[in-house]
Amino acid sequence: MSRTVEIARPAELSELAQATLRRLLRAWFDFERRLARIPLLQRLDAGTFTREDYLGLLLNLRQQVIEGSRWISRCASSFDRDHADVRSAIIGHAHDEHRDYEQLEADFVAAGGDAGAIRTRTRNAGSEALHGYLMYRAGEPNPAGLLGAMWIIEGLGEKMAREWASRIEQLTGLSPDCTRFLRYHSENDGGHMDKLYGLLDRLCTTQQIADDMVCVAAVVGRLYALQIEEIDGE
Amino acid sequence: MNAYITSTGAFLPGPPVDNDQIEDILGRVDGRRSRLKSRILKANGILTRHYAIDAAHRTTHSNADMAIRAARACLSASPVPMRSIGLLSCATTQGDLVLPGFGSMVQAGIGIPEVELHTSHGICSSSAMAIRAATNSLRLGEHDSALVVVSELASRLFKHTRYEAAGGYEAIDFDAEFLRWMLSDGAGAWLLETRPRGRCLRVDWIRSYSHADSFPVCMSIGRPTDQADPRSWQDFPTYAAAEAAGALLIRQDVRLLDHIVKLGVDGALRLIDEGLLDVARLDHLLCHYSSHHFRSRIFDLLQMSGAMIPYEKWFTNLYTRGNTGCASILIMLDDFLRQGSAETGDTLLCMVPESGRFNVAYIHLTIVEA
Repeated sequence: MSRTVEIARPAELSELAQATLRRLLRAWFDFERRLARIPLLQRLDAGTFTREDYLGLLLNLRQQVIEGSRWISRCASSFDRDHADVRSAIIGHAHDEHRDYEQLEADFVAAGGDAGAIRTRTRNAGSEALHGYLMYRAGEPNPAGLLGAMWIIEGLGEKMAREWASRIEQLTGLSPDCTRFLRYHSENDGGHMDKLYGLLDRLCTTQQIADDMVCVAAVVGRLYALQIEEIDGE
Repeated sequence: MNAYITSTGAFLPGPPVDNDQIEDILGRVDGRRSRLKSRILKANGILTRHYAIDAAHRTTHSNADMAIRAARACLSASPVPMRSIGLLSCATTQGDLVLPGFGSMVQAGIGIPEVELHTSHGICSSSAMAIRAATNSLRLGEHDSALVVVSELASRLFKHTRYEAAGGYEAIDFDAEFLRWMLSDGAGAWLLETRPRGRCLRVDWIRSYSHADSFPVCMSIGRPTDQADPRSWQDFPTYAAAEAAGALLIRQDVRLLDHIVKLGVDGALRLIDEGLLDVARLDHLLCHYSSHHFRSRIFDLLQMSGAMIPYEKWFTNLYTRGNTGCASILIMLDDFLRQGSAETGDTLLCMVPESGRFNVAYIHLTIVEA
């Protein structure tokens, strides 16, 4: 049996991968500004975020978290044999995260939410659009552009862990037992970044693929922001 | 038409004040030593700075005095006669008077007759706005020369009596104390002309990106300590009542400060993308933010994406001159030119981040020989 090919952090990115990383960084900063303009998250900044806000956030994130492992698994299976190394890396990622929603549900209940309510919750308009878009993209052959989606969603996971979790505890008086899902992504941060650099270098083989990654990052940023905007709309 | 910086000048009041002497001058709130001072100084790395007030809290130099001295230093190094200057473009964070504009006071002190006057309002980036106004005016061919004068007098805000009037030692939170150990006083001036003169700096471009639409206020004066109180300092029945409510303290929302680093990077990436900034060709970066803000994660991302400007190209006088707010970039260029490492053909990027409500300005210069 051959050894599993690992995607490792390259010493240096190719010129195209460097240029793409710069564009992805700008897509990320644009996404962060979009988030900062959403009233729910403005309340987090202003210090008026409540326990109800937190429950609303978890209630609306759950569907996307459950669906998250589905599009990642489909994405992995859409890579052909020439991309076996990429497939392995993405399967590993899907496996790591496919039961995250259980932690999210436990946090919701610990924060005073009703278990039945979160389990029967349907997707909001933003989650519906985001899920539909990701599943469609994941079904395309060799969907390298989805690295742009992972960039945004992983980045948000880290932002939740670094910025949101303690701020929410501070404002709502909830204990860290209620914010485990948010904090989860700060573990193994370095490892995630190394894998991302590796995938970027491996997949940025043409300008068209690079453009596609940046396009997907921009679309996912907008749809994710819509998903959070919808929390207040309900 | 081009704009060239043909002379620079700076003024820093009094002797350098080291970290152990700060409280001797600014005073101890309720007679007690600060709990936060050493932590904040360790983070910003500043070793010495200058104050325009003395230990008895007499103002040794007004804000306009400092501006005038910097302007004179700049003009005395140039053959351009003061009376021929077409535009006087000034900026400060807080003038000595609330009204009129700072530029009027500076003009009166320098004595330039019949000059066109500009004063820009803001915090650190007001300097870039004043430089922008001067550059535009020259490029439009409306004047042959413009004098930019920018001055900062922050120390008057930091007298222990200010904090005592707002509730004293126990009432002062981290955000209200943060800038006390950060900001200090000084002034700088640049003379701009439409033609190069000797060895001078061509202004290649100026760009700035403001993000006030996305983020809340991060640095301010005018809001009371109680965040739920929506009043501005002017909404109180008396200024004494505003002061007692903490509305005249200068505050920094430290929690939001990370955004300024990210937005500074975002703007630089945009300039690279637009082909204006070539990191590989850039020779010097001048910035009044300490480089250690760019360590760790953002450093790694910049490094990997080929956008990191190597530390050996960074020039700062932050550690010895202090953070002089809006005046920083003007004083810094003056110090940079005096230390003599600049060569003809070198390119400089002056970066001016303002955390007030998030505005970042970039000024690209090339050293040319007439």
